[in-house]
Amino acid sequence: MRNKKVNIIILIAFILLIGVSVYYIIIQPINLGLDLRGGTQIILRPVEGEESRVTDESLDKAMLIIMDRIDRLGISEPLVTRDISNNIVIQLPGVSDPDRAISVIGKTAQLEFRILNGTFISRIGQTTEFVEFDPDTGEISYGEDPDEVILVDSINSATPLKAGVLYFDEESGKTYLMDREFEFGAVFDEEMAEGIFEYDGATRELILKDMETGDNLGELLIDGRSGAASLVGPVLLTGDKLARASAGYDNNGQIIVSLSFKQEGAGAFEDITTNNIGEQLAIVLDEEIKSAPFINVPISGGDAVIEGINSLDEANDITLVLQTGALPVNLVIEESSTVGPTLGRDALDKGLYAGLIGFVLIIIFMIAYYRGLGLISTLNLLIYVALFWGILAGIGAALTLPGIAGIILTIGMAVDANVIIFARIREEARKGKSPRIAIGDGFRHALRTIVDANVTTLITAAALYRFGTGPIKGFAVTLALGVVLSMLISLLFTRSVLFTAAGLPGLAKPGFIGVRGKEEQ
Amino acid sequence: MNQKRLRLDFIGKRRIWFIISAVVILAGIAGYFVQGGFNFGIDFLGGTLIEVQFDQDVGSSDIRAVLEDEGYGSSIVQQTDSDKYIIRIKAEELGKPINTEEKVSILDALDNGIGINRELLQDRTVDPGFGSVLIRNALIAMAISLAGILIYVWIRFEFRFGATAIVTLAHDVLITLGVYAILNREINTSTIAALLTIIGYSLNDTIVVFDRIRENTPQSRTIGYSGVVNNSINMTLSRSINTSVTTLFPIIILLILGTTALKDFALALVIGIISGTYSSIFFASPILVAWNNRFSRYKK
Repeated sequence: MRNKKVNIIILIAFILLIGVSVYYIIIQPINLGLDLRGGTQIILRPVEGEESRVTDESLDKAMLIIMDRIDRLGISEPLVTRDISNNIVIQLPGVSDPDRAISVIGKTAQLEFRILNGTFISRIGQTTEFVEFDPDTGEISYGEDPDEVILVDSINSATPLKAGVLYFDEESGKTYLMDREFEFGAVFDEEMAEGIFEYDGATRELILKDMETGDNLGELLIDGRSGAASLVGPVLLTGDKLARASAGYDNNGQIIVSLSFKQEGAGAFEDITTNNIGEQLAIVLDEEIKSAPFINVPISGGDAVIEGINSLDEANDITLVLQTGALPVNLVIEESSTVGPTLGRDALDKGLYAGLIGFVLIIIFMIAYYRGLGLISTLNLLIYVALFWGILAGIGAALTLPGIAGIILTIGMAVDANVIIFARIREEARKGKSPRIAIGDGFRHALRTIVDANVTTLITAAALYRFGTGPIKGFAVTLALGVVLSMLISLLFTRSVLFTAAGLPGLAKPGFIGVRGKEEQ
Repeated sequence: MNQKRLRLDFIGKRRIWFIISAVVILAGIAGYFVQGGFNFGIDFLGGTLIEVQFDQDVGSSDIRAVLEDEGYGSSIVQQTDSDKYIIRIKAEELGKPINTEEKVSILDALDNGIGINRELLQDRTVDPGFGSVLIRNALIAMAISLAGILIYVWIRFEFRFGATAIVTLAHDVLITLGVYAILNREINTSTIAALLTIIGYSLNDTIVVFDRIRENTPQSRTIGYSGVVNNSINMTLSRSINTSVTTLFPIIILLILGTTALKDFALALVIGIISGTYSSIFFASPILVAWNNRFSRYKK
């Protein structure tokens, strides 16, 4: 009989599949996700800036740079991917100090050389305080009731020169830089206003603009050494002209990062130092002034140093980000999460334990209710778990916490196809059909139901996969895999086993399928 | 085993089932307003979650005192085990998001203030803006899966089966969310994944009954459409209950044994599966009958 042959071929195919699965389960330990083995996940969102457009190319480049930085940090098995919203998702397994990694990875590393025009201070009697600036809000703040708030040319020189006066208009909320002759606290006089500050929340820049032309007169930045709000001129040179950066100490034992420029950068650097003798050159890293040495003589040869570094670790981090290059887009941390190894192991143990107990309960229930058919569904479940585990191990997919939840859920659902088939077979048997006929008819009726019911679950899994973030994606994959596997097993394997079993004389009795014989409908 | 076939009247009493569903959904809506809205977690609102385990027992008041000194008085301290604590700091209450340095300073303050060795089990910091992206993605995922389901069921059955299926799914999602509102349980990304799973699961249940109705519809000439639907529910009853039982076994074990995140997920699923089973028997099919009575296509 042809059918018999087909059944035997299907059974042999499944036995082979199970063999392959068991082989993979043995040779390849399952890949655990970060939430089970412990690790850190960081999601970075790219931000549009004036000079940093978010494009496919810039994101790919940013991902490469991030990979490079992670490698230099010595972290093994990192995973850098992009999600549907163009966020960059970074997974770092088993990192002991994720906070350092986070601070290095997300650094834009935008190195700029600009002229320092002055620093804002406030005076009350004899005491002088630095004026503060918050780049997140664009607010300039100083102590209460100062005698004056002014811009001085240099806080490092013995006799700082007054270069301008700050005026804050309470009514409009606007801030102006006034001529140095303007008396602090006097009535506003537009004639004496040199510029107006305008804040751009997207780029976090507070720009000083000319009152009439709107030209860019300078930008307010934080001086990293004092925390003071400082006014700098336009960008003269950037870090992409760097050839090398290295951390070390100078002759006085100060921690420094020494820089050397490529040829074109060295030329530009010489021009800048030639044209600005007597000025202070601000070395700006990620919108923060690191140091601002006076330019005494033109510097040729293309060497410079960054001072004002607190620790050797910081110097090493700066070197690392400068060497890997500036990120072509600004990135903000959307989410960072770390799972310790203890919690991960605990979750894995408990998840597997719950799965095992649930599995045993299902088997007891199925055998009690469906007798011989229950034994077949037990066999089905064992095959299901073996194939599921084998596929996960074989393709190297990571098992995550939501993934475990997905497996546990699909174990229950895998039985469903069996329940539908068995219920249908019993129904047919009750009409007085022999087990063999009842099995055939039951299957035919059940097939359509099972396909319809499972396709809809697959639609949901697809939507979850497309729009979910990391862990939800893992869940969607296990859900889809579970649905497809359980459908294949029940429609092919169970069918062949039942038909083969029904051919055996000892089993072809109504009791085998949990029915006593013909009943009245 | 008792093989006597039960024959229950599901359709005749449909008003009762509709009222039960309405009462449960209204209770959820009432719970929503009494509790002042959903308890959205930091996944959606932004903020920081820190879970620590101490070597010895520590009082939660000690932890609160340290946090207050650090200026995080609005944070929520939850004891999850004798020596384990979860600290939640919502960006909304703090007025700003927390950055990495601040988080490190909180951990340092805990070490100095409490003076007992601790292990960091997990921490999580989410930017407030990210939550709106997550909510948007979750809603898109839900809309797309519902649209896909509607189209599939429409093609395989009839339009009203699809429409009824969607109403039934809304019923199950509303009931699950309602229970969350009443219990004031935190809604996080696990909950959203669970809600989407419930959609898939409940639909699975409903389709099995619909499939039987489709098969039996020719009999409506003799026993009427409501007779067909009632018979179909009875025929699939044992399957509906058995599948729910087998699915619930492992999930209930997960609810008892699992870690916090797994418990969150399991709770939503338990509610959703119970609601999904109820709705496929008592809600979806009676709607089909009501629809047929109004636009009688088959004999009542």
